[in-house]
Amino acid sequence: MSAADSEYGHLTPLLSEYSGIAAEDPRRERLRDQLVTGFLPIAQHIARRFAHRGEPLDDLVQVATVGLINAVDRFSPDKGSDFFSFAVPTISGEVRRHFRDQGWSMRVPRRLKDMHVSINSAVSELSQQLGRAPKPTEIAERLDVPVADVLEGLEASEAYRSSSLDEMLSSEQGSATVGELVGEADAELDRVDYRQALRPVLAELAERERTIVMLRFFGNMTQTQIAEQVGISQMHVSRLLTQTLGRLRSRLDPDTRTG
Amino acid sequence: MSAVEPTGTPGGGGSVVEVRTSATAALIPTIRAVASDLAARADFDLDAISDLRMAVDEACATLVDVASPGSALQCSFTVHGNVIEVEARVDTAGPESTVSTDTFGWRVLQTLADEVELRTDGGRSVGILLNKRADPTPR
Amino acid sequence: MSAPQDSTRPGTLVTRLEHQSSGAAVVWVSGEIDTLTAPALDEALTALLAADPSDGVVGVELSGVGFLASSGLAVLIRAAHQARAQGRDLHLVAGGRAVARPLQVTGSDRLFTLHDDLSTLPGGASSQVD
Repeated sequence: MSAADSEYGHLTPLLSEYSGIAAEDPRRERLRDQLVTGFLPIAQHIARRFAHRGEPLDDLVQVATVGLINAVDRFSPDKGSDFFSFAVPTISGEVRRHFRDQGWSMRVPRRLKDMHVSINSAVSELSQQLGRAPKPTEIAERLDVPVADVLEGLEASEAYRSSSLDEMLSSEQGSATVGELVGEADAELDRVDYRQALRPVLAELAERERTIVMLRFFGNMTQTQIAEQVGISQMHVSRLLTQTLGRLRSRLDPDTRTG
Repeated sequence: MSAVEPTGTPGGGGSVVEVRTSATAALIPTIRAVASDLAARADFDLDAISDLRMAVDEACATLVDVASPGSALQCSFTVHGNVIEVEARVDTAGPESTVSTDTFGWRVLQTLADEVELRTDGGRSVGILLNKRADPTPR
Repeated sequence: MSAPQDSTRPGTLVTRLEHQSSGAAVVWVSGEIDTLTAPALDEALTALLAADPSDGVVGVELSGVGFLASSGLAVLIRAAHQARAQGRDLHLVAGGRAVARPLQVTGSDRLFTLHDDLSTLPGGASSQVD
């Protein structure tokens, strides 16, 4: 399309200049601003494509702009491809990730989400330094947080990956997102830092109760799915989970330790 | 090769976690989540955690394939120091339900675990015993 | 309408075929790939390789994948061979450790062209600038 060509043609020499510029060059910042401002219509266009999915357009434009900045920073003209075919997937990818995070944030506490981000950067730093994958204790030491937090964060990261399902399903079917479908009782259970606290309690449970708790917390199944699996009613599952939650609470929180 | 008994291991404190489910592929995600949780708590590095999760998945999937209808899948995890030992077992219908070790999956399992062993019990049950060390061993 | 709540559970998989603006055909995969879900991946990759002209760039975006079992690896490897037979590469965005590690441990990473994200996929027939 020659229209795109002429609209952005004046930026092409700037792109070459920017890709060759030294990090400490004082002109770098201004050049980058010029490029981002110049290509902004691309980011806006992509943001609008995603706008019918219930996120404010302003937010999407902001996210798309982050994608554009990444594209500007990483583009190298000498590799032969043009900026468009490089920037478009980069920007769309950023917007997609945003939706993935949104779906995730409905189910995962802010604290874990932040931990997920810190862990990711600690992992890549440590992997380089150590020449192997780091251990949870090494990550904890680097971030100066308790190991328990790291363990929890690692677990949340796994949930995070699969939760991009939210985005794909909701965009495909226009139906409720997974986050909206999680029941109230489940949300309550999720507030407990469960797995650690669960271990001693698990041992005390009868086999069926233990299975139910395992399916809920390790298998991440909904109450209905558990009911199907174990062959009892969803009401029954709900009751058993509530009882277990009560026991957990009384262990976790000294104030509620009544019985 | 070490026994499944947690007692008598030097550096000890071997704790055992047992998981018993019906032998169906739908429940394997639960079991592999337990495996990776245990490995993370035993301070395995992230690659080793990932390897153990995949190895346990592989072992369970292999066994569920040969389990007799309606039987249970029994998994026990023993953490001794920096080694996690896993034994997975299902009941089988007869001596003809055997696990083939001549498959891509079995080769992957051998690559992921430090030791793997197939244990049959006269056609009544079949088990896979595997262990994984926290620190990679030079080969 | 199907039941979307199934997807909260590990062991579920969603795939979607998409045509990138660069002309490449990409299957987006999200969820966990194991014995239960590997057939769904197989179907998606078969469609990917069948639907497209054999000179088109084909890729699989796996950064939404939280687990990859040997059954899933086998499907990917088969697809790589099939693509090779058509005279092209299968491009993979491996994403996280859950995918990268199995590829690396089994040595199957060399069967694919690996990318950090889709932006490095070959541009194909993009006609905008020279």
